[in-house]
Amino acid sequence: MSDDAEPLLPDAPIEQEYEPESPVTGKGRLEAAWGSTEGDEDLSATDTTAPRSEGHVFKQQYKPWNGQLNPRWMRNWAILRHHLLGIFKKGHRPWGVPIRLFLLVVFVASLTDVAMVLVSGLIGESGLHSVWGVSRDNLYGHVLGFLPRNMLYYPVVAALLVGGVISEDRQHGTSAMYFSRPITRFDYVSMKFLSVALIQAMIILITLALYYFAEIVSMGRGWAWILDTFPMFLATVISGVLLIFTYTSLGLALSSVSKGKFFPGIALLSIILGTKVLAFIVSNLFDREILYLLSPYDCLAHVGQAIIGTQPTYDQYSWTWSLASLAAMNAIALFTLSSRVSSMEVTRE
Amino acid sequence: MIPDFDQQGQAQTKEWTPEVQAPAILLENVSKSYGRIFALSNITLALNGGVTGILGMNGAGKSTLFNLLMGKIKASQGSIKLFGTNPWKNPAPYARVGFVPEHEKMYDWMTAHGFVSTFARLNGLTRDEAGIEADRVLEFVGLTDVAYKKIGEFSKGMRQRVKIAHALVNDPELIILDEPLQGCDPLARTTIMNVIRELGKMGRTVLVSSHILQEIERITEQIVILHQGRLLALGNLHSIRERLDQIPHRISIEAENPKALAKDIIDIDEVFGISFPDGRNVSIQTHNLGAIHARLPKIIVENGHKVSSIDNPDDDLASILGYLTSGGRV
Amino acid sequence: MATKPDSVFRSLDRKAAAIVEFTLRQYRTRTSTWVVLGVGFTALALIFLIYIDVMASEFESVDNDGDSFDTDGDGYPTGQERKLGTDPFSDESHPGMFDPPIEPEPASKYINEDGFDWDVTASFGEQSTGYDDDGDCLNSNRTASQKDTNENGIPCDIIIQRSTSPTGEIVIQIFADEGVDEDPDEDAYTREAIHLGFVLSIGKLGFVLLLGIFLPLFMATGLIRDEMTSGTMHYMLAKPVARTEVFLYRTLGYLGIVWPYVIVLGILGALVSGFVGSGDDFFRFADLGVWLAIVFATMMATLVYGMLFNALGVLWKYGIILAIPFAAWELGMALLSMGAPDATILRFSVIGWALMIIDSVAMMVWPNLDTFILMGEWGGGGQGSDIFGSSSLQGSVPLSFFSSKPGLGLSAFASTIVATLVLLIQAVVFWFIGGALFKGKEIQ
Repeated sequence: MSDDAEPLLPDAPIEQEYEPESPVTGKGRLEAAWGSTEGDEDLSATDTTAPRSEGHVFKQQYKPWNGQLNPRWMRNWAILRHHLLGIFKKGHRPWGVPIRLFLLVVFVASLTDVAMVLVSGLIGESGLHSVWGVSRDNLYGHVLGFLPRNMLYYPVVAALLVGGVISEDRQHGTSAMYFSRPITRFDYVSMKFLSVALIQAMIILITLALYYFAEIVSMGRGWAWILDTFPMFLATVISGVLLIFTYTSLGLALSSVSKGKFFPGIALLSIILGTKVLAFIVSNLFDREILYLLSPYDCLAHVGQAIIGTQPTYDQYSWTWSLASLAAMNAIALFTLSSRVSSMEVTRE
Repeated sequence: MIPDFDQQGQAQTKEWTPEVQAPAILLENVSKSYGRIFALSNITLALNGGVTGILGMNGAGKSTLFNLLMGKIKASQGSIKLFGTNPWKNPAPYARVGFVPEHEKMYDWMTAHGFVSTFARLNGLTRDEAGIEADRVLEFVGLTDVAYKKIGEFSKGMRQRVKIAHALVNDPELIILDEPLQGCDPLARTTIMNVIRELGKMGRTVLVSSHILQEIERITEQIVILHQGRLLALGNLHSIRERLDQIPHRISIEAENPKALAKDIIDIDEVFGISFPDGRNVSIQTHNLGAIHARLPKIIVENGHKVSSIDNPDDDLASILGYLTSGGRV
Repeated sequence: MATKPDSVFRSLDRKAAAIVEFTLRQYRTRTSTWVVLGVGFTALALIFLIYIDVMASEFESVDNDGDSFDTDGDGYPTGQERKLGTDPFSDESHPGMFDPPIEPEPASKYINEDGFDWDVTASFGEQSTGYDDDGDCLNSNRTASQKDTNENGIPCDIIIQRSTSPTGEIVIQIFADEGVDEDPDEDAYTREAIHLGFVLSIGKLGFVLLLGIFLPLFMATGLIRDEMTSGTMHYMLAKPVARTEVFLYRTLGYLGIVWPYVIVLGILGALVSGFVGSGDDFFRFADLGVWLAIVFATMMATLVYGMLFNALGVLWKYGIILAIPFAAWELGMALLSMGAPDATILRFSVIGWALMIIDSVAMMVWPNLDTFILMGEWGGGGQGSDIFGSSSLQGSVPLSFFSSKPGLGLSAFASTIVATLVLLIQAVVFWFIGGALFKGKEIQ
């Protein structure tokens, strides 16, 4: 068949050989594998621009690969890079345009306190600065404030990121592509985890660092101030890491149990917001706070309040209960995740 | 105006009166483009009655044509009429159409009977009528034994037959089957082919798509060949083939002694070239395939050649298309 | 074949029945349906349990006016001495010196001895109400001016003054004569307030907000889109059914599972709160009206959100990305409607209208709710029991937070009708939009 087809092609076929070392630039292949997240499937047909009458027949030549396998971290780095770079440019994991847009919006919205610090520093009025400057409450608010950050921004970001990150692999059958490579399931899932967590960290922790830095620059703070405030900045970073970790592990656990793309996102959001609303009703109405231990956000806020040193919302129980509850939530989520991924059938669903 | 809660009434959809004279399918200058790519360009086609095979390679536009007919997508240009009505605007003509989609995905949790009868009710049948009709069509496709089993437990061929049953349940005048034989084992293939032939005998208009000529050949003689979105050939398979017979063809014979066989064959007038691709095969070139095939067996038997296979490597869709598209150059 | 001509409607409703039935059976086979419904049930059941537990516990009775103590140590509580006219601050003067001597009464008699007996309407201007049950105002050794500290000429009463401030807000002021309704029964009040607050909060946040948004998010977003992605839509669209109809019938199928679920949970809530709630009767029948409104408002909310999320699913493969920010917006609107029910921005939400139904019906069913909240916040006007020194009774603050006035300025009945109509119009508009989107969609 292959030599029969040659007369159809008057042009000499272009021969191209790929070296093992050459960079992976197979954009078309990757998009085919991951599915276009760009929008409607209707539009994806426009990508094929080459007229079909001209074709190429590649020389089929199989060379057994005798190269040296890269170390494990390098393979994992490739997965991580694939996911992270997808946020910024094409040719990597195609995160949807709206997701990228939403990430940008949240990033900019998270910078409001940075902008206010800079503005108040420029104006030089101390009243304005006392409202917006770095303080325990403002640091807490940057990471753990409920409205708007933990209602509209961070859980939604987590829900959008987590939505298809494993379930889409299962749906498109790309998990088969991963597992046909020298990659263990643990590597696969931990890199997924890390990439989702790092994208959230870019939004939450980098803006936090910018906020702190903006204060130093705009107010001309010296070492004494930094020594004073650094512990609470560090505490905020720790509570931020805890928040990212918890949202990611809950989200990925949900993503691993479902086939659909809708389910993990909504489920994560309904867990975070739903338990928060229930705890709110119960503590307001009945003066009982026990339910907040079921709410990931409230537990995070409680632990954050304790280590940053702000006024706790719930004070009937010690914050160590919240920490224990968070540990339990994460343990359940990670257990679900690992058992689901290790028993995942590598088939196209 | 009272809703028919008891579902006991007689089924009769009255909201649509089809044009009596209109052919089942009428396409005029239909094009469908995605951006700069034309999936179908300028197709004009009228079909009414009999089984018609739609042939084409993958991506030739068969599915696009069917999607247009079923109102799934909108034509970029031209007009499509199903019994005189534009299916994109009005789904009413589907009361007289049965469609077997190419997609493999089905409702695995339903029983075959449940699936067929539920969708029969979308034709306006009552629950009882739909049940009776479902029994009838499932028997027609030979699935009565497994009618109450879950579709998820079915083999590929059985699933295809369930899909066909679902399409036949409203006793349609026009039946469109998109790749009904794909992925079926030979037995299922034969059953489905019989079903399609049967439908043709019953006077229905049947459209079957495939990319394998031999399959279509066993079902029907009337074919439409699509290639790269264009109508390439249309009409009786034999007349198309006869024209094709006039063009150079190859016959490849695997024999114990190809040289000796070639010596005998060279005497036939229609043969104009012989070559030996390898030690075991002899390749004959001819303008008239039919004449060769008429004389070949006799030559082989009379001269006592040991032949293990006779093959027409050009007698597949690819080479027909190759010939048609290259303007007669092979 | 046809013996009688069938109307178009007959064949229409056959198709509707088929698709609705199909959709219901499809839901039944999905694990996620049961998970979602089960989690929703568990969450509400948890709150019901806490409610039952709270209602079973005793609320601390506070002696708001401090007259149960025996200040002077003569064995007679202050209240008794005050009532009988002896000096409560001197052990030389007590009813034991009367002839014949009067035995001291137990201190508990002077806790919660002067409860609310208000009878006011919601009209503007001054109203006089209240009665001094324990006689510590009416007793004889006070002067007339001591008995009428609010100076309206009526001894021992309470003035409720309702007026409009220059900014247009309604201001209610309370002027009470000293010693009138000053020692209310905390247990009775708090029990009632928590009960009312529970019904309102579970109705607004538990039912309309959580069930109303998350059920459609989980169950309606994929109604059409899932079928389009998996390719099974072809079977349905190959039948003589218009796509707008398919859209509607699929949504009806979704309502076929969501509405009964909401109704069952509503009945459960009504039963629990009816039997457990405070009151003299065996069952609180009056609350059934509010529960009816809660169930109705939730049904309307699931209808509108169902149509909307279904349409978003049709619009775009990742309709959920549009639906999630919208859900967060509605959450904000729900909280806003409790703080500022007049806000114009609420009119651009779905939940604002749904909550208005509950508020309006609550106004009709519990006409004294305002007064009830008012008396609880006033709480006798004395030294309060909580650390902030506020005299308001426990339960009144959350109740006043969870209840609000329908913000249209119409009567309660008219607000209910208007809100229902608006929600229906929203549902129809989203149906048309979704149907039109679906109709123009090319399905591969």
